Amino acid sequence: MSDYVFEAGAQRALDTAVARGAQYADVRFEDGRSESIEVRNGVVAALTDERSCGYGVRAFFDGAWGFAASDDQSDAGFDATAARAVAIARAGATVAALRFAEAPSERYVDTYATPVLIDPATIPVGDRVAFLLEVERAARSAKRVTTAHAGIELWRTAKEFYSTTGSRIAQTIYQSGSVVGALAVGGGEAQDRTYPGDVGLFQSGGWEIVRAARLDENAERIGEEADRLLDAPQCPSEITDVILGGSQVSLQIHESCGHAAELDRIMGWEANFSGTSFLDPAQRGKLRYGSPIVTIELDNTLALGLATVGYDDEGARSTRSDIVRDGLLSGFLMSRDTARTLGLPTNACVRAQGWRDVPMIRMCNLNLLPGDRPFEALFEDVERGVYMESNRSWSIDDHRLNFQFGCQIGWEIRNGKVGRMLKNPTYAGVTPQFWNSCDAIADARSWTAWGTPSCGKGEPIQIGRTTQAAAPARFRNVQVGVGYDD
Amino acid sequence: MISDERERLARRALSFAAAGETEVLVHDEDRALTRFTHNSIHQNLASSGTSVRFRVVLEGRTGLAATNLTDDASLRATARRAADLAALAPHDPVFPGLPDGRPRIAAPAGAFVEATAQASPQTRAGIAADIFAAAEASGLWSAGFVTSSRGGITVANSRGLLDSFDGTDCGVNVKQNAPDSTGFAEHFDTNVSALDGSRLGTIAATKARASSDPQPMEPGVWTVIFEPAAFGELLAYLMDHFSARAYDEGSSFLSDGLDKAYTGTNVTLVDDYANAHAPGMPFDFEGSPKQRVTLLENGVARSLVTDAYWAAKLGRENTGHAGPYAGSRGPEPLNPVLAPGTKSLEQLIAETERGLLVSRLWYIRPVDQRRTIVTGMTRDGTFLIEGGKVTRGVRNMRFNQSILEALRASEFSSGPARTVSFNYSIVTPAAKIAAFRFTSTTDF
Repeated sequence: MSDYVFEAGAQRALDTAVARGAQYADVRFEDGRSESIEVRNGVVAALTDERSCGYGVRAFFDGAWGFAASDDQSDAGFDATAARAVAIARAGATVAALRFAEAPSERYVDTYATPVLIDPATIPVGDRVAFLLEVERAARSAKRVTTAHAGIELWRTAKEFYSTTGSRIAQTIYQSGSVVGALAVGGGEAQDRTYPGDVGLFQSGGWEIVRAARLDENAERIGEEADRLLDAPQCPSEITDVILGGSQVSLQIHESCGHAAELDRIMGWEANFSGTSFLDPAQRGKLRYGSPIVTIELDNTLALGLATVGYDDEGARSTRSDIVRDGLLSGFLMSRDTARTLGLPTNACVRAQGWRDVPMIRMCNLNLLPGDRPFEALFEDVERGVYMESNRSWSIDDHRLNFQFGCQIGWEIRNGKVGRMLKNPTYAGVTPQFWNSCDAIADARSWTAWGTPSCGKGEPIQIGRTTQAAAPARFRNVQVGVGYDD
Repeated sequence: MISDERERLARRALSFAAAGETEVLVHDEDRALTRFTHNSIHQNLASSGTSVRFRVVLEGRTGLAATNLTDDASLRATARRAADLAALAPHDPVFPGLPDGRPRIAAPAGAFVEATAQASPQTRAGIAADIFAAAEASGLWSAGFVTSSRGGITVANSRGLLDSFDGTDCGVNVKQNAPDSTGFAEHFDTNVSALDGSRLGTIAATKARASSDPQPMEPGVWTVIFEPAAFGELLAYLMDHFSARAYDEGSSFLSDGLDKAYTGTNVTLVDDYANAHAPGMPFDFEGSPKQRVTLLENGVARSLVTDAYWAAKLGRENTGHAGPYAGSRGPEPLNPVLAPGTKSLEQLIAETERGLLVSRLWYIRPVDQRRTIVTGMTRDGTFLIEGGKVTRGVRNMRFNQSILEALRASEFSSGPARTVSFNYSIVTPAAKIAAFRFTSTTDF
């Protein structure tokens, strides 16, 4: 079958948009399939297979964009949707004091497909269900675990992009993920553990991603840890050294660097909802964002990255660039319109949740480069500290400065050794001070492409899939034990 | 798509059901949103679509498949897929089967307004222009949105159930921006003619101006007055607890027991789809009639919300609160209404010797779910109250607070308003909390 199944419909929509006055238009068609299984307490709580096909038309008129989307694939539907996009652009242009947009000129004709080792379609649904039931049962074996769950998500999206500049791009994206979790209840409190990380292991690829998570080898341990947390002492409130597990470092990058470096947010485009940023374009190359060992790269070509594609949703080719290099702020996450304000080319960070959603800047793959020592060596020169794993709570202000994060589980560190388990570990800080306190990052052997399958941004809110690859890291003199007053 | 057309589609879809019991949920929607910043529109969009979801039940085994391709072949294939999945699921002895047929239930007055369904991009741009004018009159810049939408749901099943609901929704969200301060206002409604960009733009601009040069306050325990937009955000984090699933699994504070006092006696919270401020769907997403459920009555926990599955599992009545998501999420109270008090917001302020007035909250997350401890930030208009008067703007602060403990000594204003948080449409008055714990501050 041709990679370009929507070509005729796209051409009709583009022709209509131009006939209605659009100075540029593009059409993005998506055919998405989502398979989901969730097992909970021995029963299948969800067993679903959903498909959604449709297209969105972006029309440019006098410096304003209009976007209209529909699932009506008749000629009348193409015409009406394209005309609607132009009408919206015209309405916006009438009250625009500023002009945000310029018509793109790039042209790409290409295809891209996620490398897949094991096509999920080759794994019978009955086998998937049986695997999850076994995993979930193991997670529920500890005495005070009242609820366990295990789940698999398999996503396949065929996308086509066409523009009035002649672009013609077809892509097929595979993304997969799985998770197991346990909730223990006793003495009026509840403690939960999940694995891997806090949401599971989500990466681009096929069934091999589910296998790599090794749920079956870890489910019982997760349940036991949830049970033991009920008896563990509370994480004390103090300023101390902190070692964060890889998935928590991933969240730290996501919240305090990724969102802060989105150029649309810096320009005020998200001001009313997601907020702005403490960063300013003038700080590029000058602001010491973190310590010299902190290098954070945008890499939308990363193997296993959830945001890895050939081209973004405004038809720009994926690339790799620095956001923080050796501790200095070096760049931003950009679209064509925002990059132009800095005189830079886009770094292809535009994504839409689905066919019905307007493309906008999303975080994509933003990775903390690994350090130079084994994970175990992070503990060696910590006299007193806390090791924390797997996020439980996350909050940061609307300038991305004041944050407070909580983890599911912690352990005391004393004189270079891991000691007793601690419950309810939390820590707080201010973004640049925190990243400047980073003095060690584990090496590539513990570096993982941690995917976040549900990052929210925009209005109407869109759910983005992004990766922050990271290894465990150490931070000095951090406030821990916040949030509890007893 | 109108409900007749949607029902024809539902009947056609149901005709492809092969085995067992089958439910068809047809959802169609047309939504538009005009988003602006720096007094100009930068995102301007509309989308429309129709989806069909099959749920097939074969002797306690459930499979679910959905599509937005509505030709016969696609519907037939999707019905088959749902049946195939059901055959692969283990038997769940709890599942009670699909709801029986019943008479149709009328939508509450005001749920659908034709003017909102027909709102044009020019209408939304005009409201935005009024907001820009209010900003420019004060030397500020605006960020926000104007939205309008219409949507419909039809539920049909092989036990004879067929019912439809059509609703409209619209809203304005505006943040006015001064050099070192911001101000916020919002209004949500089913009627687009109720949206007044000029009024909302002026309210937000007045707040932005009044909170200029914000001063740092000491973290600690404060008396705080939350405007409805702020308090609704906080209440949203209590709603999960009323789910029968959370109660049963032990993650809810209600797992300590119903018919116990958890808050002050002035707190009465119900779930009511028919409230005049937020008229909504009279049945849930599996077609069961929605009941008005008293969640807290004078501080005492009275009831949970259930769906067909959780009602059967816990031996409780089905309150008709199946949510829009298939799967394990469980029942949800999507229309919470907090009973108002008798004093105006201005009176609550006048009776406060020293405290804070909060316009909006941000990024609330549970720190300890069972104990209802949440953290979050203030934003977009935080003020100091001294001697019964709002005296100046203050810098934003982070809180760590148990919601239940906050509600043990609280007072509510008259005149509730509707706010929206996640899927919740919340009707709440302003709230004065005697003791609310802030733990850190910001430099803005």
